Amino acid sequence: MIRQDVEILLVEDNPDDVELTLHALHQERLANRIEVARDGEEALDFLFCRGPYAQRSFEQAPRVVLLDLKLSKVDGMEVLREIKKDPRTRAIPVVILTASQEESDVANGYHLGANGYVQKPVDFDSFRTLVKQLGLYWLVVNEPPPPAAFQAK
Amino acid sequence: MSTDTTEHHLADEAVRRAGAYNRSLIEASLDPLVTIAPDGKITDVNNATEKVTGLSRQQLIGTDFSDYFTDSGKARAGYEQVFREGLVQDYELEIRHRDGHVTPVLYSAAVYRDEAGDVIGVFAAARDISERKRAEEVIRKLNEELDERVGRHTAELEATNKNLEAFTYSVSHDLRGPLRHIDGFSKLLLEEYSADLPEDARHYLSRIRDGTRRMGMMVDDLLNLTRLGRKELSMQLTGLSPLLEEAMRDLQPEMAGREIEWRIGKLPFVECDPALVKQVFTNLLSNALKFTRPRERAVIEVGETTQDGRAVIFVRDNGVGFSMKYVDKLFGVFQRLHRPEDFEGTGIGLATVQRIVHKHGGRVWAEGELNKGAAFYFTLEAVESRPGESNSLPRGAA
Repeated sequence: MIRQDVEILLVEDNPDDVELTLHALHQERLANRIEVARDGEEALDFLFCRGPYAQRSFEQAPRVVLLDLKLSKVDGMEVLREIKKDPRTRAIPVVILTASQEESDVANGYHLGANGYVQKPVDFDSFRTLVKQLGLYWLVVNEPPPPAAFQAK
Repeated sequence: MSTDTTEHHLADEAVRRAGAYNRSLIEASLDPLVTIAPDGKITDVNNATEKVTGLSRQQLIGTDFSDYFTDSGKARAGYEQVFREGLVQDYELEIRHRDGHVTPVLYSAAVYRDEAGDVIGVFAAARDISERKRAEEVIRKLNEELDERVGRHTAELEATNKNLEAFTYSVSHDLRGPLRHIDGFSKLLLEEYSADLPEDARHYLSRIRDGTRRMGMMVDDLLNLTRLGRKELSMQLTGLSPLLEEAMRDLQPEMAGREIEWRIGKLPFVECDPALVKQVFTNLLSNALKFTRPRERAVIEVGETTQDGRAVIFVRDNGVGFSMKYVDKLFGVFQRLHRPEDFEGTGIGLATVQRIVHKHGGRVWAEGELNKGAAFYFTLEAVESRPGESNSLPRGAA
């Protein structure tokens, strides 16, 4: 059976960044089902299966969340905090993908339970290589959490 | 009249005159004078004492000497000291006037004796130091104000600096986004439509991409520079030789295929932030390597010298150098003395060096001669040279 679950949730408010990231992912044929959340609220609605995503279930968690920090409505750190606070979403791997090189952001991210922190390079070739490596690691190499990992205990 | 009587009379007269003379001297004194019996009771006072206490002779004589001071315990202690040691000088006390106001004084007192040599009392003189106290108070207040003002200005300056750093940081940070997009889409255009584009169009696109990359480098350098400004130094006693070695290792790719003669001298141990001082070496050596590129044989010298008794580190090369006319521009952000097609760079390396050295309380300067070479010197304020402990690097080409 082919799982139709979303593989990557890309949380990114900048349309240019969305387009370039999707382009890179498609070019490398790493992900077929990518969901894009354009702000923090949308990301949380998706992950917590509410609002327009009420028909989703927690077991259909994405393999990885690529999370930008600068987001409208609910910022990236807050999204991360919400995800890692709730036992139903805590196991979802979250990689911060941001332009910020602030040491405090890196520290905060890890403190809140981020599974990775990656800085977006200016150079598109480097960016593409990076997206490819991320896709390879989280969708191919990494063993995803089993459904039991998404149950409230 | 017998001679005896006459003599006696004359002697009495002399004593009386001497007494009157002494009395007038005592009364003429502006300093309060007082004599005190061994039991601490006042036996005599002058006019100045009456004035400073607001009490008459009659009121004062026979009362306890220590009653007229704000700190009678200290007055008694001083008095006892006179008896013990025969003398006190410049003993600070405050006399309280009947109306409550207080006069700060310095007491000098000595015992006096009878013909048999026994102590019969203390003669004490007070010097009114109100004026001096007032002056001291004024100076103290002025100093306090000055400290406060300097402190306030320093804080304001620091705040302004911090704001400026934060501003530069966020601006350079936000500039990276659009740059990434320009670079990305122009790259995609080149990749996916290259066949449809005429030669000229491809050329223009590659110029766009070069410009973007350059600006990206500048923004990144600027970010590093501002991050440096905000970073706290983590100081530790560090040998500069190993730092230099590390910097040289990092620069290996730039040395490949070149003939370079390294002249490395002894370097001291220094209290500094090692990561940052390594950055200083990396930037200076990287410049030396870059600007000696036209030389068949590059000569790069690193060592320690002293200037005005202070340890100075230098990096010298036989490269293309620079005209001293432009020496002031050397350390400015984005300032470049060479054409980009001759020597690449963003013009931030030396600004970074200067920032690091200044953060250490040191100084950096340069000497150069066009087509002869350049030399860069820096001090780190806390330089603590420990001769013999620093190992020097092997010489020769890398």
